[in-house]
Amino acid sequence: MNLLKNPRLNGVLLDVTGVLKDGGTAIHGSVEAVRKLREAGLKIRLVTNETQVTRRALAENLLDLGYPVQELDIVSPCPALISFLQRENLRPHLLVHSNVLPEFEGIDQSNPNCVVLGDAAENFTYEHLNEAFGILINMKKPRLFSLGRGRYYSDKEGLMLDVGAFTAALEYAADVKAEIIGKPQPEFFRSTLKDMGVEPEEAVMVGDDVVSDVGGAQDCGLTGVLVRTGKYRPSDEKHPTVHPDAVVDDLAHAANLILESRK
Amino acid sequence: MASRKVPIKAVLIDLSGTLHVENTAIPGAVDSLKKLRGTGIPIKFVTNTTKESRRCLFERLIGLGLELRKDEIWSSLWAAQDLLRSRNLKPMLMVDDAALEDFSGLTDYGEEEQNAVVIGLAPSMFNFSQLSKAFRLLLTGAGVPLIAIHCGRYYKRCDGLALGPGPFVRALEYASGCHSEVVGKPSPTFFRSALGDVDPAYAVMIGDDVKDDIGGAQAMGMRGFLVQTGKYRTGDESRISPGPAAVCPSFSEAVDILLKEYAQSEGDS
Ligand SMILES: [Mg+2]
Ligand SMILES: [Mg+2]
Repeated sequence: MNLLKNPRLNGVLLDVTGVLKDGGTAIHGSVEAVRKLREAGLKIRLVTNETQVTRRALAENLLDLGYPVQELDIVSPCPALISFLQRENLRPHLLVHSNVLPEFEGIDQSNPNCVVLGDAAENFTYEHLNEAFGILINMKKPRLFSLGRGRYYSDKEGLMLDVGAFTAALEYAADVKAEIIGKPQPEFFRSTLKDMGVEPEEAVMVGDDVVSDVGGAQDCGLTGVLVRTGKYRPSDEKHPTVHPDAVVDDLAHAANLILESRK
Repeated sequence: MASRKVPIKAVLIDLSGTLHVENTAIPGAVDSLKKLRGTGIPIKFVTNTTKESRRCLFERLIGLGLELRKDEIWSSLWAAQDLLRSRNLKPMLMVDDAALEDFSGLTDYGEEEQNAVVIGLAPSMFNFSQLSKAFRLLLTGAGVPLIAIHCGRYYKRCDGLALGPGPFVRALEYASGCHSEVVGKPSPTFFRSALGDVDPAYAVMIGDDVKDDIGGAQAMGMRGFLVQTGKYRTGDESRISPGPAAVCPSFSEAVDILLKEYAQSEGDS
């Protein structure tokens, strides 16, 4: 059975957390799958909302796990946000993970005129959220940026709240609508495809987040494949609005499906 | 004010802004409450609070010279414990330490037993790890309710505004996809539980918050009397439709209307 019959398939967008790795380890079969996709000549980008580490650190981590990737293969929200901040003369108040602070070096953060939320994890304390709220509520036109708007992800301790939950909290408190940078924002997918030189209908996105990965990609005209790894839950297959083009056990199966579809 | 023939079987009275502002009783409130008591109509004192236990509210009101019994106080915290007990729920409580005494017997359930999440105001628990724990509990199965003491966005603290329970309720709703049950004003459940088996059509709510007190009460069939004290701002009465059943300068005038109606309904019977 092949659900993805598409001889033009040329570009593959892979989510990282929950597809390539889970916690600190590679997901079984995924390293081999990426290698096979590469060898078949497909263009690959790792499209992640990961904002707990820099792209460089993530690339190093993936190399350690055996993935044939480099920093430039990784598309993450931070660089996109930073060029946006610079274009618009925005000085952010950051509520992000301390690991990604280096990405913001050289960005003026004095007298902030916007708030940026990332997956701050342990940095999401009441006082830190209050601080961000205090800045928003005192702005004439509050601007809140969210690096992705994921609901949750899976970690060593189990499922953990992702940035989207805290974005929803601040949106409600300060009566503001956040501007999303990252998946499922269409611009994020489009600029990635443009950079790859691939049309939406020539591309497939593989992810474990039915809304952000699969739904976001489909909204831009890509094929969306859901894997049953990472944060996947059986209820995702009965999602009221998102219907994946295919649901497979893991990236290994997704890769087979993709390679088959081009024949 | 048109007189009515409907007998009054219960009066719900808001606290802050209606009977008192901080540590001062509203002028005339103590005497008017005494007069209302003379009718024998059942009274409940209703308030949204996330940290004051029933005992704590009671002591404050007694200190202001108001006449009441502890069991006449129906707060959002009290409504929450009432709901938990009536549905036999074992909660993970995210409430202020001072509020815990309203939840006696409900505070010690282990993680494996818990089957409800209650969000009050607990800054020490409103963090990544505890909220994630609450989130996982909500996902463990259908029917783990998310109970909100109320959904206030923020409140005033001595050092400025601070986040209320609402934002954290929204965070958990967003992540889990479930909807919260709000137990405080203006939720219909709150008014219903305060009224017990009294038909809302025979009940009156007196308060200074046009939306939460008056709008909320009227939406479930009560009459709402808006008082122009506390947080009342000029023009508030036109912010809800239909408008308040009565608008009164203060609690005393609201009681005067009730006494007149009461005399009339007694005279008819
Ligand atoms: Mg993922
Ligand atoms: Mg009030």
